[in-house]
Amino acid sequence: MATAAAVVAREIPSPEQASLWSDAWRRLRRNRMALISTIYLVLLVLVALLAIFYTPYRMSAVGIAPTYSGPSQAHLLGADGVGRDVLSRLMIGAQISLIVGVGTQLLVVVVGVTVGLLAGYYRGWLDSVVTFIINVFYGIPDLLVALILVFLLGPSLTNIIIAIVVTRWMDMARMVRGQTLSMREREFIEAARASGAKPVKILFGHILPNALGPIIVQATFGVPAAILFEAFLSFLGVGIQPPTPSWGSMAADGIAPLRIAPHIVLAPSIALSITLMAFNFLGDGLRDALDPRSRR
Amino acid sequence: MLTRGTLIYIGQRIVLIAFTVLAVSSIVFLGIHRLPGDALFSEHLHGQQYELLLHHYHLDEPLWIQYRDYLTGVVTRGDLGESLVNKGVQITPLVLRELTISAEVGAFALIFTIGLGLVLGVVAAVRQNTWVDYVLTTTSVIGYSMPNFVIATFLLLVFAVWLGNQTDGAFYYQIGGGWTGSIGQIWLPAFALGFPYASIVARLTRASMLEVIRQDYIRTARAKGLKETVIMVRHALRNALIPVTTILGPLVIGIITGSVIIENIFGIPGLGKEFAQSILNRDYAIVIGVFTMYAAMVGVANLGVDLLYVLIDPRIRY
Repeated sequence: MATAAAVVAREIPSPEQASLWSDAWRRLRRNRMALISTIYLVLLVLVALLAIFYTPYRMSAVGIAPTYSGPSQAHLLGADGVGRDVLSRLMIGAQISLIVGVGTQLLVVVVGVTVGLLAGYYRGWLDSVVTFIINVFYGIPDLLVALILVFLLGPSLTNIIIAIVVTRWMDMARMVRGQTLSMREREFIEAARASGAKPVKILFGHILPNALGPIIVQATFGVPAAILFEAFLSFLGVGIQPPTPSWGSMAADGIAPLRIAPHIVLAPSIALSITLMAFNFLGDGLRDALDPRSRR
Repeated sequence: MLTRGTLIYIGQRIVLIAFTVLAVSSIVFLGIHRLPGDALFSEHLHGQQYELLLHHYHLDEPLWIQYRDYLTGVVTRGDLGESLVNKGVQITPLVLRELTISAEVGAFALIFTIGLGLVLGVVAAVRQNTWVDYVLTTTSVIGYSMPNFVIATFLLLVFAVWLGNQTDGAFYYQIGGGWTGSIGQIWLPAFALGFPYASIVARLTRASMLEVIRQDYIRTARAKGLKETVIMVRHALRNALIPVTTILGPLVIGIITGSVIIENIFGIPGLGKEFAQSILNRDYAIVIGVFTMYAAMVGVANLGVDLLYVLIDPRIRY
């Protein structure tokens, strides 16, 4: 039977076959908001990469335009309170936001997936301890703890990322734990165990690939949350330190001169909102694409 | 409703909260004391004056004695110490006064969040797959994607700059004009504080309403000839609320956290502004005090939410 099925499968012309991922990609493309968001995010990444080599002006160059001057030909988004080019600073800010967002989620995936897999697979006291820790972390105000952490560790990009990972790893761990718990009882895991696969092989070779969809979705939703954390910290002045701009600190700088120069606060605020929105729409789209059952 | 089991449960939780608050307080206390630099650095004092000040704050004693004194102060007298920047200002009364202001704004934000979220969620569910539904679900993504400080600055821009000074001093928020005076000023910060969460409440309400209105007992209610509004409000919404209450804990935490930013933008002299300000001023004593306060508030809020489950869902018992 099995060989016959394999032969049949081989004889079907390959375009007819759709793997989970190509299927998901097709569904994602049909979701208009997700597609627009993806295009926007690709552009944002390109801008951030471009900013490594080129910004219209040096981001910390002071007095290159009249202070508080509005958008003009030379300075597309105007200048801030000390005459720095807002567009150049916005581009560097995009770098910071993406580094924090993506960097945080990479670490969260490593920590959350490991903890979740182990707790879900071995259960017992390990699971009890992990669940207890997760519940404790859920009860604390994550932003405020991150704030205190950055305050204690000192403000730097690495410390901000660490602080966000410390306060945000639980969602991923809890989700992976749940997936593992339900999957370890399924037949294919039983079969793997019966055929003598080692726990490491079962965890990373069988369970992890099958939980990849939800992990990707969770990580996508985690990126805007992390970017928001960084903006929050920088807005309060404990995050990214001057002269390096962050969208949060740029917005904070723009509050006082709101009456005379609204562009200073509008530029980073709009960039931040659209970026967060794009990640959320992409997350929604990925969730629908990777798990068709959850569609409304 | 208040069975013996519930009372025991409440008692256990209160003990747990007390321990959490102490733990948080200790971590921040010890963490701050190993920061480099000198708490009195900004004073530019030398010699004897400096020694006197050190002695005044007991900073000349070993850390563990400072810590012991601090803990006994907190536990026995609720005394959080004295501000390092403003000499002679006792932190406990200061923080309690600011708490009432923050609570006022927070309560408005909470009422607003839940009210708007529920209404939008129910409307979207009842009108499922119509344009109303699509507009509401899309706006809710926009809503929770916008950081609260962005919403706040947009509100200020629109109401305080472009439309003239409609807010009548939202820039210069004053407390003490009585309740009617404050309500006029409070709605802008409350909106900024609550709107992101209103979107989340709306999404959750919509999802759980959709689940509930397909159930048999709703069909029974319809068959009995009840009015649609009665069915929705009394039969559907009450059960749809159960999953929505799970968001209440994070919601309260979110409003507390959000106040740190919103109070700064609107110049509200509350706990959030004090917290942000004292971090920038390096007024360590206040940072520890306010953070302890926050830990206690979050603990109590979470307990309150858990007790609310019992009120809404009679099946839940502790």
